[in-house]
Amino acid sequence: MKKTGIWRGLAAVMTFVLSVSVIVGSTLESFSSTIDTALGTQSEMMVTDDQDAVYDKFTPPAELLNADGTGNSNALIQAAIDLNREQAAEGTVLLKNNGVLPLAEGSAVSLFGIRSQVPILGSSFGVKACGGFINLDEALSKNQTDFANHITTSLSQNWATGEVERGYTTDGWSGDEFAFDGAGFTVNPVMTSIYTKLNETYLHTENAGPSEEYDPGEPSVAEIAAVNADYKDSFATYGDAAIVVIGRPSAESEDYLPGGIVDGLGAEEPLALTDNERDAIALAKECSDQVIVLVNSASAVEIGELKDDADIDAILWIGAPGCYGMLGVADILSGKVSPSGGLADIFATYNMSAPAMQNMGNYSYANADSVITRENSGNYIIEAEGIYVGYRYYETRYYDALLGQGNATGTAGTYASNGAWDYDAEVAYGFGYGLSYTTFDMAYEGEPVISVSKDGDVTTATATFNVKVTNTGDVAGKKSVQIYGQAPYTAGGVEKSAIQLLNYGKTGLLQPGESEVVSVEVDLQYIATYDNTYDNGDGTYGTYILDPGTYYFAFGNGAHDALNNICALQQIDGASIIGDADASYAFATEITEDLIGKTAFSVSKTGVKVSNQLDYADWNYFQDGEVTYLSRADWEGTYPKSYTDMTLTSQELIDYLNGNYYTIATDEDTSDIVWGEDGDLMFYEMAGLDYDDEKWEELLSEMTLEEAQYLATFGGPSIPGAESIGTVETYMTENAGNGVAVNLNASKDTEAPWNISSDDPNGNWHPEVFGSSPLTAASFNPDLCKELGEFIGIESLFTGIPILWGPGLNTHRHAYNGRNGEYYSEDPILSGYTAMEFAIGALEYGLIAAPKHYAFNDQETNRSGVAPFMTEQRAREVELRAYQIAFEATKYDTEETDAGMKGLMVSFSKIGPVECTVSTGLMTEILKNEWGFRGYAVTDIYDDFDLYGAVLTSGATCYDTRGMSGFYTDTTLDSPRFANQTDGSVISANVFAGDANAQAAVRESAHNVLYAIASSNLMNRYNATTHVVKLNTWWRSTYYAAIGCSAALTALFAVLYVLSKRKEKEAA
Amino acid sequence: MAEFMKKQGAGMYFNALAAILGVVGLIAAIICSNMTVTYRLGNMGQIAMLAIGGVVLCIAAICLPNYFGNRDIAGTVAVLGAIAVYAFAFGAVLSERILLIAGLFSYDSVNTVGWQVFSVTVVSIAAFLIGDIALIIGAFTKSVKEVTAE
Repeated sequence: MKKTGIWRGLAAVMTFVLSVSVIVGSTLESFSSTIDTALGTQSEMMVTDDQDAVYDKFTPPAELLNADGTGNSNALIQAAIDLNREQAAEGTVLLKNNGVLPLAEGSAVSLFGIRSQVPILGSSFGVKACGGFINLDEALSKNQTDFANHITTSLSQNWATGEVERGYTTDGWSGDEFAFDGAGFTVNPVMTSIYTKLNETYLHTENAGPSEEYDPGEPSVAEIAAVNADYKDSFATYGDAAIVVIGRPSAESEDYLPGGIVDGLGAEEPLALTDNERDAIALAKECSDQVIVLVNSASAVEIGELKDDADIDAILWIGAPGCYGMLGVADILSGKVSPSGGLADIFATYNMSAPAMQNMGNYSYANADSVITRENSGNYIIEAEGIYVGYRYYETRYYDALLGQGNATGTAGTYASNGAWDYDAEVAYGFGYGLSYTTFDMAYEGEPVISVSKDGDVTTATATFNVKVTNTGDVAGKKSVQIYGQAPYTAGGVEKSAIQLLNYGKTGLLQPGESEVVSVEVDLQYIATYDNTYDNGDGTYGTYILDPGTYYFAFGNGAHDALNNICALQQIDGASIIGDADASYAFATEITEDLIGKTAFSVSKTGVKVSNQLDYADWNYFQDGEVTYLSRADWEGTYPKSYTDMTLTSQELIDYLNGNYYTIATDEDTSDIVWGEDGDLMFYEMAGLDYDDEKWEELLSEMTLEEAQYLATFGGPSIPGAESIGTVETYMTENAGNGVAVNLNASKDTEAPWNISSDDPNGNWHPEVFGSSPLTAASFNPDLCKELGEFIGIESLFTGIPILWGPGLNTHRHAYNGRNGEYYSEDPILSGYTAMEFAIGALEYGLIAAPKHYAFNDQETNRSGVAPFMTEQRAREVELRAYQIAFEATKYDTEETDAGMKGLMVSFSKIGPVECTVSTGLMTEILKNEWGFRGYAVTDIYDDFDLYGAVLTSGATCYDTRGMSGFYTDTTLDSPRFANQTDGSVISANVFAGDANAQAAVRESAHNVLYAIASSNLMNRYNATTHVVKLNTWWRSTYYAAIGCSAALTALFAVLYVLSKRKEKEAA
Repeated sequence: MAEFMKKQGAGMYFNALAAILGVVGLIAAIICSNMTVTYRLGNMGQIAMLAIGGVVLCIAAICLPNYFGNRDIAGTVAVLGAIAVYAFAFGAVLSERILLIAGLFSYDSVNTVGWQVFSVTVVSIAAFLIGDIALIIGAFTKSVKEVTAE
């Protein structure tokens, strides 16, 4: 080949390299914030020249700082270990105990089940447990962590080979190890080594997830024997107790499905025990006559057969305990801590018996192909169970069965009953239930006090229950005081649960003989019923009603026990009551119209008249009579059928599904909306101001429409700056509910005096370490929940993240939701108060908790746009109540302060046929007007990018645009990365130029976002001298170098080619 | 035509292949842009211009050596231009699809429509990329058999 050809070819190669380098560089810049997070680099730094009045608003506790004010990573990790241990110990629920627990000091125990070696600590996707962890055998037998050799794992697919591989959640650990006081047992090394060996092929991980065709992957006895045929020889030495761990994971994006289990495992459902799991239990029985089962799952596993098995001596539910939570489990097993948790979900004998299970999974409209034009709008679920979610179904049906009403003893919905529906057969363990190692006497300390006050049209009514708890046993322990209520029900009237949790409290650690009076204040608005047919007399329908009549309240060991106590007070036939009943634990009171008016709660705490806002949530609103919702008037006749192949005939319904919500106006007069006024007020001056402070109007008027629109368009993780008010683009938001997902040495706040340096030996500690949300809820301990929020608030200071996309706050509609591990409970009161405490705790350190997913994310299947249909009563009393409690946070309101959560993330799902993101009823009328929410309300990632106008005018404040950054440079309002708009509009800085409503909405969104940020620890960094400094990174240098070198070489080869060509010509 | 083809060297075939792949890349981009409203390519116009421009330059790279001889400057400029234009074409497709791809490989792995769009996108990107490789290989080879006496 002639030189001319070589130079020409090389010039072509370098042209290609140059072009690719430019493209790669441009792409990297567009996603620089995400690249930085992934690689631990930093592209820009927020710098404040004047160091006066910075880092003085929120600071970590002194005990987590060194003497020079820098962060003490060792102390922080130790505090996390201690708190996770406490979380697990208080959340663990003792379900059964034949006296075997606590185990004797120095016991020699054997562990069975592969999850005893590879426990489920977090989720494969979503809320992971990251970094070094303490395994069960370590917690039982060791006194020192071994993080260097025990790092949690997760599965991922190698896209090059297609192979699923197990990978560590952090790149090794060379930091500190920590001493702990373990249980002091010895653990059978033969069994642990067998399971360790077996997991080389099983590929279990500590962060795992469900699947549509699930296989728990429990090795068979033959496989165990194949590893070590003599394994049973070890039983004699380690036979003081046999502990079996049964695991079922939960994770984002995947559900369990009805019947979704691999064939041949000996189980019909994914949460039922398989043959190999039963065999592992049988081995445990061979090993010891003291058999303990640990249920390592955030979901309700079907353990009815274990409850009834006399050879199973104890059962503990331990949830997904997090990285260090096994210490708490060991505390329970060894008796260092007496169990005090209560189940956050009912454990049915068969999960399929829940009415919600008749309609979960993958449902598509029969005629979707012919009438649906919008993406992710072809799936639905009919939530025909109405308000009867979780224990509300089982307990209400039980109550009606006792009273012989509503055909409750029919056969519809029977799965475990022999003939007529039988509570005892259908339910293994009830909601709120949990045992202890000690005993308590509980009694009302005086009459419960009902207090009613009015402020204008707003009624506040509370009932305060003072319950004296006395430890009558031999060991110290805590006791939750769960207050339940029952409102008067008229057959055929508005649906009401026969029992519902209203609030709860918990004692401190009571020594034997010690007493404590726990005061639990119940907000009576939560026993009111939402009647969506109520005629308000002003042309609107639907509001909260409090029917006059006899109201019953009771405490008890869970909902069932409390209901039994009410039954006793009502003198219902004791022979038919299942379980204990004590009338003295219940309390009845007449609520007359004079005391609290029937419609007293029809005006919200903000003074807004409550009426239907979600009519379109109900399928029957569009196509009347096609759906029958479960009613206690006739359990037999209304038990849900599966609504498959629903056909869309209503044009209004079809239009909603196709995204026809809002058309951006182009010719409205917008002159009343002030933008771009000259002014000196700067954002840093807004720290801690009330939402209604008049300075906000001044500040907002200084902004340009384009700046406000940027804020609304790009809601995180990087949030754009606005030059007019002195803010700069900042990385502000991250996941997740169990810790901030940023390494300790990769803080986004590089100027903070307490920063952990990059060379700190513990620098790659990742703060996502805590246990699953149900474990927190199961503690029934408001103080612990607040403490968790505080700690994650502290983490946010160390990682520079002022807004947390968490915790999860949806309802466990059923046990099969893959995301149950991220959400607290099936009960909105328990969820709401838990989240409220967490959020208030986090705020103390300037962290804005933004719970997700508001609302109705009732399954992960088809989560991107699935349409859940339900009654508005169900929506408000079950799904929304948890959010309402957290946002209203009346417990923390003072004369001066309206406390509450200041953030949320909107659900991918719809409500009825309407996207939650565009539902003005949900986002504005209920959230902002009724509950008084003020703050940051972001969509889920890239959700509804095709509905720009509708989303930004609904009340949602901004889009989650994870990955995008470089605002005003690479990422602009003309970004083509937003999908084409359903309404035909084109996103630009001028798109709202002629739309007064949209401009007002964008302005209000800017107000809300800035208000939330002004309440956060971001304000630590701001003053008049704050600005951004661009930094170089190795990846930026690399592509710069690639561009430079390839450009030079292209030019060089081009010149050589031309010279060679010229020579060629001359030679010719 | 037969006479014309007789004169052509390996470079012409690589350039022709690149031109065909440019058309394939464009058609795949159009298809993936029209599979759903949500995943329509916002920069389809830009992609089309780049692809058409690349094809035109490939054709120029085929034709020009027949007039000016092997490895002529005009033909070389056409080849280099086509390489750059194809690279920017697949860059344009990729930048539009990067959020979809990120989602599919993480939080949105069950998005079946997204995977369908992704697979057609891969065809488009691969076509432009392979087209570039064909152009590079062709740049090392002769486009016509007889241009100068050797």
